[in-house]
Amino acid sequence: MRLNLTLYIILIFFAMATVNSEHQYRNNFSQLDVEKKTMLELKDEKTKLEVEESDKSGNQRIQTIALEKLKMYTPNKKEIKVIR
Amino acid sequence: MINTRKKQQEFFELSKIRRRFVLLILLSLFFALFSRAIYVQGIKKDFYQKEAKDRSDRTIKLHAYRGKIIDRNNNVFAVSTPIEEITVNPSILVITAKQKNKLAGLLSLSRGELERRLQKKKEFVYLNRQLSPKKAAQVMALNIPGISSKKKYKRFYPAKEISAHLVGFTGIDGDGLEGIEYFSNKLLAGEPGKTRILKDISGRIVDKIQDVKIPRDGQDIQLSIDKRLQYTAYRALEKAVEKHAAISGSAILLDAKSGEILAMTNYPSYNPNTKLKSKDFLRNRVITDIFEPGSTIKPISVSAALESKSIMPHSIIDTTARYYKVGRHIVRDTHDHGKISVAEVIQKSSNIGAIIIGDKVESKYLWNTLNNFGLGKKTKVSFPGEVTGTLKHYKNWRKTDHESATFGYGMSTTLIQLAHSYTVFANEGKIKKVSLLKTEGPSIGRRVISIKTSNQMLKMLESVVKDGTAEHARVNGYRVAGKTGTSKKLGPDGKYEDTYIGSFVGIAPVSMPKFVIAVMIDAPSEGSYYGGNVAGPVFSTLMAEALKIYSIPQDGFLEIDKQKRETKPDSII
Repeated sequence: MRLNLTLYIILIFFAMATVNSEHQYRNNFSQLDVEKKTMLELKDEKTKLEVEESDKSGNQRIQTIALEKLKMYTPNKKEIKVIR
Repeated sequence: MINTRKKQQEFFELSKIRRRFVLLILLSLFFALFSRAIYVQGIKKDFYQKEAKDRSDRTIKLHAYRGKIIDRNNNVFAVSTPIEEITVNPSILVITAKQKNKLAGLLSLSRGELERRLQKKKEFVYLNRQLSPKKAAQVMALNIPGISSKKKYKRFYPAKEISAHLVGFTGIDGDGLEGIEYFSNKLLAGEPGKTRILKDISGRIVDKIQDVKIPRDGQDIQLSIDKRLQYTAYRALEKAVEKHAAISGSAILLDAKSGEILAMTNYPSYNPNTKLKSKDFLRNRVITDIFEPGSTIKPISVSAALESKSIMPHSIIDTTARYYKVGRHIVRDTHDHGKISVAEVIQKSSNIGAIIIGDKVESKYLWNTLNNFGLGKKTKVSFPGEVTGTLKHYKNWRKTDHESATFGYGMSTTLIQLAHSYTVFANEGKIKKVSLLKTEGPSIGRRVISIKTSNQMLKMLESVVKDGTAEHARVNGYRVAGKTGTSKKLGPDGKYEDTYIGSFVGIAPVSMPKFVIAVMIDAPSEGSYYGGNVAGPVFSTLMAEALKIYSIPQDGFLEIDKQKRETKPDSII
């Protein structure tokens, strides 16, 4: 009788532990899924930044800024000094 | 006795009450269970079925990212960016007139078009398949029952028309339709996956039951192209085509040592980000269009003569004949050059001189040399639609074919083949394999002509730029070698027209060749049509930029007080 009671208590204990571990697993898995979604969002953000970088470093933009804003130009013959 | 019977009767009467009481409890419990069963399985049947469905396992598709296309310095040429697909289920749609106005504005649809789509008797109608995430969030904020949004990816091409012919574009379903997008579609696309998951009532994925198929993201493709040079080439071509009112222009820049293509572009082009794309200018004409190369072939036929020892560089060729009859055609030089050396035949681009030299070489030898220079066969570059060009086999040659071949007629090439063939002169007689993908270091070449012949030819080609027909191809501070070509265009009826193709192929710096550039201008109609005048300046601009960007040491003189000189015309038939 005493043995049966002990086994019964152990059974209850492991059953509770199993339920708890399953709960923990699902919580963790759900968290992992959230993190994966965050990773994908960050990947999209990175793509956006790459496109923005490409846009900002575009040759056409650089040329326009150099000519119009910075007033840069190709030096003429008189301005070229040859160092020998 | 009487007392005992009375006690028994009382006991049974009491017991009867208890039995009835217990029975009543049991019946009540059974009724409660029965009522609950009717409630769950009858009244709330739909609710519980929905709940069960929400909790049950389902198979979801896992997105595979399409790879990027980048240049040799990691600049983006093509990338997938998120967009939202807005759909509606008209059967459950509840919308007010005010919401309709707002929705039409956000979706960039006219009110009439929106009405037409909302009234369709379907359960699924597209409202906008490529809406920006910001606008899609505004649409969803309207909280209209029946309207839903789904995340998708769209290709974006930051370089626009500069790299359009090269990179190509994808269709609405994301598959490559042109260019590298088409050629490397399988590699770029990857493979979407599938997985069976378990969701809870709040939509959270709480368990993965099974990976049906693991997704594989597409690979990035790194091209050998340098975006800076691609831009310069496009702008230089644009200027030349507009200036000479030509149909189109094409240019290709090769790294002479590795065979990598650093720039390959055409003008006019198109913007791959827009839906409307002119079908006339979709082709990458550097690879898909053939033309008779004309005088740019002369260095190859002269190489054959030098290599076979039929002539020597100092041999004198008598070109005093005013014309030469090749089949039905009369071949002339622009001037009477008289008795000139082999080098001068190249420098002055004498057709008669080229024919006389070519006649000294056996047809088999001449054909083999042309073929070894890569003419009449594909370069096998990783690009769709490459054509072979035509180089008739020497066994089928008549005298006319042999003579025509010496000055680049009776055959056809692509611009990439022409640039490829000149890598021989830039690598001391070895031809390099061209590559559109970035490679590491110099590649191994295949010997075509001897080092001696190659150096002799390079010297002759330098004289073309220095004192010959390609003055506009000069690059200040550098020694440049090259050859002009001006050929008549063949009409649809197979007869020559009065329109021309002006071309130039050149190498720099001559002391240690680093780049090979080929330029072709189709049908220039304003100003000059000579290769040296129309294609030469494009070469000069692009070569100057390439030498500057790659910090190649100068090997020539700076012409600070360069005087404007009249360009000598190239020979044409």
